Amino acid sequence: MKSFGAGVMSNSIPEIRDLDFMFVIGSNTTEAHPIIAMEMKVARQRGARLVVADPRKIWLTEYADTHMQLKPGSDVWLINAMMKAIADEGLVDKDFIAKHTEGWPELKANLQKFNLQEAEKMTGVPAAAIKAVALEYARTRKAAIYYTLGITEHAHGTDNIFSLANLVMMTGHLGVPFGGLNSLRGQNNVQGATDAGATPLYYTGFQPADDPANRAKFEKAWNTDLPAGVGLNLNAIMKGVEEGHVKALYVMGEDILISEPNTNHLEHGVKELEFLIHQDIFMNETTKYAHVVFPGANFAEKDGVFTNTDRRVQRVRKAVNPPGNARPDWEILADFARAAGYAMPHYKNAGEVYAEIASLAPRYAGISHERLDRTPMGIQWPCTSTEHEGTVYMHKDGPVKGKGTFIVTNYRPPVELPDSEYPFNLATGRVLYHYNAGTQTRRDTGTMDKVGECFIEVHEEDAARLGVKDGDMVKIVSRRGGIKAKVWQSGRVQKGNVWMPLHFVEAAINKLTVDVGDPLAGTAEYKVCAVNLIPIKPGKPAQAEAELQAVRHPQH
Amino acid sequence: MSDRFNITVDGKPVAAKPGETVLRACQREGIHIPTLCDDTRLDPMGACRACLVEVDGQRRLQPACAWKAAPNQNVKTHASSPRVQKHQDLLVSLYMADHKLDESGLPIETANSNQLRSWAQETRPVSLEAVEAPRAARAGDKNPYIQYNPELCILCARCTRYCDEIEAVNAITLTNRGSETTIGTAGMKGLLETTCELCGGCIDTCPTGALVEKKAIEILPHQLERKVRTTCNYCGVGCQMDLNVAKVNGQEKVVRVTSPPPGETVNDGNLCVKGRFAYDFIHHKDRITEPMIRKADGNLHAVSWPEALKFAAEGMNRVKQRHGPGALGFISSARCTGEENFLMGKVSRAAFKTGNVHSCAAT
Ligand code: SF4
Ligand code: SF4
Ligand code: FES
Repeated sequence: MKSFGAGVMSNSIPEIRDLDFMFVIGSNTTEAHPIIAMEMKVARQRGARLVVADPRKIWLTEYADTHMQLKPGSDVWLINAMMKAIADEGLVDKDFIAKHTEGWPELKANLQKFNLQEAEKMTGVPAAAIKAVALEYARTRKAAIYYTLGITEHAHGTDNIFSLANLVMMTGHLGVPFGGLNSLRGQNNVQGATDAGATPLYYTGFQPADDPANRAKFEKAWNTDLPAGVGLNLNAIMKGVEEGHVKALYVMGEDILISEPNTNHLEHGVKELEFLIHQDIFMNETTKYAHVVFPGANFAEKDGVFTNTDRRVQRVRKAVNPPGNARPDWEILADFARAAGYAMPHYKNAGEVYAEIASLAPRYAGISHERLDRTPMGIQWPCTSTEHEGTVYMHKDGPVKGKGTFIVTNYRPPVELPDSEYPFNLATGRVLYHYNAGTQTRRDTGTMDKVGECFIEVHEEDAARLGVKDGDMVKIVSRRGGIKAKVWQSGRVQKGNVWMPLHFVEAAINKLTVDVGDPLAGTAEYKVCAVNLIPIKPGKPAQAEAELQAVRHPQH
Repeated sequence: MSDRFNITVDGKPVAAKPGETVLRACQREGIHIPTLCDDTRLDPMGACRACLVEVDGQRRLQPACAWKAAPNQNVKTHASSPRVQKHQDLLVSLYMADHKLDESGLPIETANSNQLRSWAQETRPVSLEAVEAPRAARAGDKNPYIQYNPELCILCARCTRYCDEIEAVNAITLTNRGSETTIGTAGMKGLLETTCELCGGCIDTCPTGALVEKKAIEILPHQLERKVRTTCNYCGVGCQMDLNVAKVNGQEKVVRVTSPPPGETVNDGNLCVKGRFAYDFIHHKDRITEPMIRKADGNLHAVSWPEALKFAAEGMNRVKQRHGPGALGFISSARCTGEENFLMGKVSRAAFKTGNVHSCAAT
């Protein structure tokens, strides 16, 4: 991360219960990271203060001392206004700024734009609340910030994170236990996937791919020549598929036609691919277009490691055999590489693959399967040697990148704002009982009892105006497509806003969303998109379905 | 640490920390004191009286789980105190009189372990007249996971305290009075109609198996082949969990997921609904079991691994030759292991000479 290095959780999960102040922004923690929310609730019962900044009345707000119900997409405004309030009150950490940062004068000057009264107008959060929260954060030593998808899966995601990093640095909440800036990563091993080098920007262990020295190092280790520079990121690959210049894909463990935004175009592109390999445990939308299907193994059927959100490397252990001729994915990949003509080593087990990772990436050098087997708490990277104990909190001796950089951020409105044709702001997210595209949890009867169908949360006044009540079907249309769902007046969303979970195939929500993408991180704008709601009249379902088909498959 | 001090337990010195209970100090030394209502995650309640010990200068026996250690304190457990032994024998007998027993006369075993059963095996309980306690279950609770068997409940309140102090949803509570006291919900509604988030922590903490998981209820702990410690495959918290493996129709299956003991792992023995209960997908009938390739008829056909690998490698190499490595993309998954993501990066860069590799949903 450009501010102070490593866009990860700077601190640790077990620290949470001893915090005195928690600022949770854009994280539906109770539903997306239940056990972290549980730790937050334990801290709260001990007397810690909890502030939640979120456009919706998410569950966690029930435990919060303050809920800042900001307008969707106004995060940059909110955070800058908090910083201005802190600076005006003289609560900045001058020592930390002088010793460990650069760019403070520029940032301070820019803060002048963000006065509290204007902030109240832009964010919808009362000026007094913004000020009170800001000052309390600045004054409390054991104070930590948590954020997640809400703030990163957004076309201005990086601006939001830079803003938070500024807030953390100006108050010196970095490099100490019980503090820091903590990014809660969504999926089990999303941290580990990037760590391992499944990213166009880095070789294993965040070693930049465009550095010739790194390339030379890996060429030597892998005994072959490697491509120069960085490759295409996920968004760019998908764009390439849509536009036809990416012609073959190998997809492992994902249903790109459900989890990627704006899937109408993508589906067309995937159909046109010259070659598609799909490796997974279940058939799904992507499998329909695959030329080859490799049956993989799930986490209970193979060995390896996952890296969780607090940089903790932990073992995955085989408990049972995969069904039929299915095989562990690491074995399939190694065999495939050999079939394609590359002399991949004959790894005897996943531990040998890990040993190769550790030999190539200094930050995991001290980690091995054997050592993990002796360490039930796992090992938090960086762990640079077999004597190194791992890192509970980062930036102890100043930001890992040397000096932390204050990066000036300014408000930019969302790419797509509601207008007369599409008057609602649609946001998407997760519910506790399901997991991403739901291919696993939807196969579980219990979780289906709790939340069995796709719903859309609508504000009472909007529902009244549309003439719909709870349980009524509505068609939800954006500039890109249409889906349907049942209305739920949950009391959680603000007027003019609607919210849907992203777990349901029938209502593949990504058909609606914008795939503009954050210019830096390559994450798509899942969060804010303009839609209209059209009630589906009972008694005319067939016609409604026909209309919907027309929206789904527009005739060009 | 310098502020440590010693207490004496059964004549031997035991180190203790200020503010610590006698029970915690003993547990660290590996000295066994039976407990039922104790859970390191919960405030001590002193409800079950299983842990009573003799403390010098105290007329009554004191609960080790709540009694604070003090320098030079002299403590006797059942190992050295006949008085504590007598107390335990009687207490176990009283619990058993109000408990469902099996043919051997021991507290019955359910799908969850029963500590009262093992305790009864360590002591010399006498047979007392059975108590008729009209404790009610929640009839018609349709929740899919959690079952409450009132005839095994000893009212230790671990489940209700867990629900309040840790999960903080207060869905279940001790209700009614006297011999009718039971574990209830507001209005005795089913759990799905309460604030319950179905985390199942109540099952995990219940010492007697009065709370059990409804799925695989017929598979008892001693019928398990093994428990395999692993990392949850759902969210980024990375909870540790134990996959319980048993033979079902001759085939080894994951039949349950249980918590590791509190204090050992990052999740302190806690799991959420997904980690604990959403494991049906592991052995689901829709799993893909054979490699397949699309043949001239446009359909996928099961083939051998060598054939599938060859077909796949040729297909990718053909596109690479025709359009260059830049026309290839490799998508890996945050659901797969670190090793697999590493290999996907290596396949893309070393075998196909392209950096077009990314894991899906990189957030
Ligand atoms: S159900 Fe179990 S945990 Fe709850 S009070 Fe009864 S015995 Fe204790
Ligand atoms: S048990 Fe729940 S909180 Fe823990 S890792 Fe699994 S999904 Fe996340
Ligand atoms: S464990 Fe001490 S009274 Fe129950």
